[in-house]
Amino acid sequence: MDKLNIVGKSSFRVDGIDKISGRSIYPQDIKLKEMFHAVTLRSTVPHATFTLNTEKASKMSGVVKIFTAHDVTGKNEHGVLFKDHQVFMDRKINRIGDPLALVVAETLKEAKVAMKEIEVLYNELPGVFCPLEAMNEDAPKIHGDSNIIANMKLEKGTVDFSKCDVVVENTFKVPMVEHAFLQPESAVSYIEDDKLVVISSTQYPHWDRFELSLALGLKEENIKVLNAAVGGAFGGREDITSQIHVALATKTLKKPVKITYGREESFLAHSKRHPMTIRMKIGALKDGKITAMKNEILADSGAYASWAPSVLRKAMTHSTGPYEIENVKVNAKSVYTNNPFTGAMRGFGATQVAVGYEQIIDQLAEELGISTYEIREKNILRIGSKTGTSQTMYNSVPVDRCLEAVKKEMEIIKKKPVNKDMLTGYGIALSIYGTGYGNGFPDVSSNIAKINSDGKIEIFSGFTEVGQGAKTVMAQIASEVFNTSSSNIIINCEDTDKVPDSGTAAASRQTYNTGNAVKKSCEKLKDIILNLAQKELGLNNNIGLEVKDELVYLRTLPSMEITFKDLFSKYKDELSSKGKFVAQTTQMDDLSQGAPYWPYGFNALGVKVEIDPATGRINVVDGVFAQDVGRAINPRLVEGQMDGGFVMGLGYALYEDINLVDGEIKNRKFSSYIIPTAKDMPTLKKIIIEDPEETGPFGAKGIGESVTIPAAPAILNAIYDASKVRFTKLPVTPIEFMKKFGNKYD
Amino acid sequence: MMKKLNFVVNNRKYSIEVDPRKTLLDVLREDLKLTGTKKGCGSGECGACTVVIDGQNVNSCMVFALDMEGKEVITIEGLAPKSGEIHPIQQAFVDHGAIQCGFCSPGMIMSTSAILEKHEKPTEEQIREGISGNLCRCTGYVKIVDAIQSLAENK
Ligand code: FES
Ligand code: FES
Repeated sequence: MDKLNIVGKSSFRVDGIDKISGRSIYPQDIKLKEMFHAVTLRSTVPHATFTLNTEKASKMSGVVKIFTAHDVTGKNEHGVLFKDHQVFMDRKINRIGDPLALVVAETLKEAKVAMKEIEVLYNELPGVFCPLEAMNEDAPKIHGDSNIIANMKLEKGTVDFSKCDVVVENTFKVPMVEHAFLQPESAVSYIEDDKLVVISSTQYPHWDRFELSLALGLKEENIKVLNAAVGGAFGGREDITSQIHVALATKTLKKPVKITYGREESFLAHSKRHPMTIRMKIGALKDGKITAMKNEILADSGAYASWAPSVLRKAMTHSTGPYEIENVKVNAKSVYTNNPFTGAMRGFGATQVAVGYEQIIDQLAEELGISTYEIREKNILRIGSKTGTSQTMYNSVPVDRCLEAVKKEMEIIKKKPVNKDMLTGYGIALSIYGTGYGNGFPDVSSNIAKINSDGKIEIFSGFTEVGQGAKTVMAQIASEVFNTSSSNIIINCEDTDKVPDSGTAAASRQTYNTGNAVKKSCEKLKDIILNLAQKELGLNNNIGLEVKDELVYLRTLPSMEITFKDLFSKYKDELSSKGKFVAQTTQMDDLSQGAPYWPYGFNALGVKVEIDPATGRINVVDGVFAQDVGRAINPRLVEGQMDGGFVMGLGYALYEDINLVDGEIKNRKFSSYIIPTAKDMPTLKKIIIEDPEETGPFGAKGIGESVTIPAAPAILNAIYDASKVRFTKLPVTPIEFMKKFGNKYD
Repeated sequence: MMKKLNFVVNNRKYSIEVDPRKTLLDVLREDLKLTGTKKGCGSGECGACTVVIDGQNVNSCMVFALDMEGKEVITIEGLAPKSGEIHPIQQAFVDHGAIQCGFCSPGMIMSTSAILEKHEKPTEEQIREGISGNLCRCTGYVKIVDAIQSLAENK
């Protein structure tokens, strides 16, 4: 590959100055003239039929209109895979927090006061809150006549544990957790030249436009979605929340309307991470080679399907970890209950199963009497290996390098002094993550690159900056092609009227998919520019023409030059090109064999924990994290993802748990739902492993999901090392620790 | 019943009528249109609304605006010496990659300003303690601590 000038440098964030100066606009910062405010009435029981009486409320001061199911102008439904959500409930309530009505008033206060006056009469139905019970014939049904949303199997080879020398099994339980993005949901809508405009913070503006069009009964071209600044997402902004409600109110009332959720409503409104019960059995030969694995996964999807089949598919296919295992059998089920609904969250099913496979492999090593490194070295995927779905790993599989880097650094960490009053332990974990929607779905990103009248390069693509740095990455890719500073690239990504669809900002697909589309369109545009320059400069061909800083020149005679601006003045309409990228995956067969994702990203993590034996308080005090990135477009952004992913996994391991009582979230505040603070984050040495992926833009892969996966299992392995107690249920709070640890020594 | 409030925000004197039940945060965002200060919870649990009042970092969602009578408030919009300029804390946040989604950043930066006012050269522990009331879900706090440390070193 040619020498890279911009890619690989930690260029400044495109959105940095706006964000540190308070100038970035999130929807809650918007105030329009004559704008109404709306609040959502939500169900307080988990399973019921109901009647509403809005008569008194609608006569209250300031109230403009109260919207219910009758007022939905299109189809009263939405949902990312199945349309099982309703805009407003009309038949049956399926969870606490289901939307029943929207009160629109002149002021927020009036809307809130009036909402209290709506009478709701519930006719409660028996609910089901346990996914196992939900599969019973006689369990209350949430939608249709079965609660089973997906029942998948994977089979490779023949699993026969009698042929193994050592067999280990265990069951792991991972909790429902919350995205806890700092910016609560908010949306504003208004009418502009006969178009309905919706401003929100979303992961996928074009999808929102599609769902809005169905629910409102409007053509997509009559709706414009503007993505404001997004205050974190992590998967929690994929399902529609407030967007249809504001839009419906504006469509009907012909006035601007705004909705902003408070923190507690945010907990109620969006999806959660799937809690799962994961049964694993693994067998190996004496020499440490794993030959068989059998897994069973049961996921609680709550009241709605959201991404359940896709999350489950990812969990199932990733449940063998980054290991080559000849014989595999997996069964995975996802069911409806009357709990809060679950969907996409960082790692998308791959996070949950790693808590199992990375612990059971440590157990296996202990049984075999070999080290946790040795068992991994013997079984990891390498070039030419086949995954559990029999997909061939043909390039960029640096699991060995990640592991090696962590091993070396952990030796140094182990030599550091230990606190004698504490139990000290060390643990490692590896992980695998396959990019994209997968399973043969046409995963498309599009981009248009143009030269504008100032001679600057503009890119137009519907990706989303959720904080991960996508704008900066796309600018760097474009600037590398055009040999100019990334600050000279103008990024357009917010307006569905101006930019083509580039898929969702999820599944670590933006750097890889959209990055490829951006690169392609820029390369085509560069060719166009060279040919036009040749014509203008009167040359025989375009050999030796170069671009630099919005200028074309002849390398052998640099005074022969023409600026992009001059070219624009003559060839305006020709200076535009489209790029499209579709990821290559295949639909798996009935036994889940195939090539469902590409590319795969890997990592290794090592941590040191200290546990106070008197209180059970666990601290992660040191760590090393090696992350495969293919190629780092921007190392500082990569490190930022590694830090942030790690700490989210730390919260998963030690603190976070949605506390449900009969479907009700009891901890809907940051004082009761604890996420890590600055005091919880250890020193974390970060090592970026580069092994360019042939099909990636400049060799890059996405990493946003991958970085969160190894944290919890590495911490749990370290807790075991320190205490000799294996925790199979997350989170390991001080109380949980003391319960098990105390019992052991009492 | 509206009440009169006289206070200084970002070196500018305000004499306004406010609803006595309104928090400082809501008055800043709604009445003064200073939307740089963010609301992440409205109940003193996230720090997104941090402003500096007479040198102290305060969750502006937890104080009534009326209690600001005669006080001096600095928000993210007023941190830089001149409008359009960037304060060294803000610069350090950009230089160290201490921002991702940006929603915690204004509050985090205001807490930093209070830390640096309290401690000549804050230790890492003092820094972590000083921002422990500011939640960030994106960065893992690492680059934020780096940015603040760089400011302490350059002092
Ligand atoms: S908004 Fe004030 S602390 Fe969260
Ligand atoms: S940068 Fe997103 S919450 Fe801190």
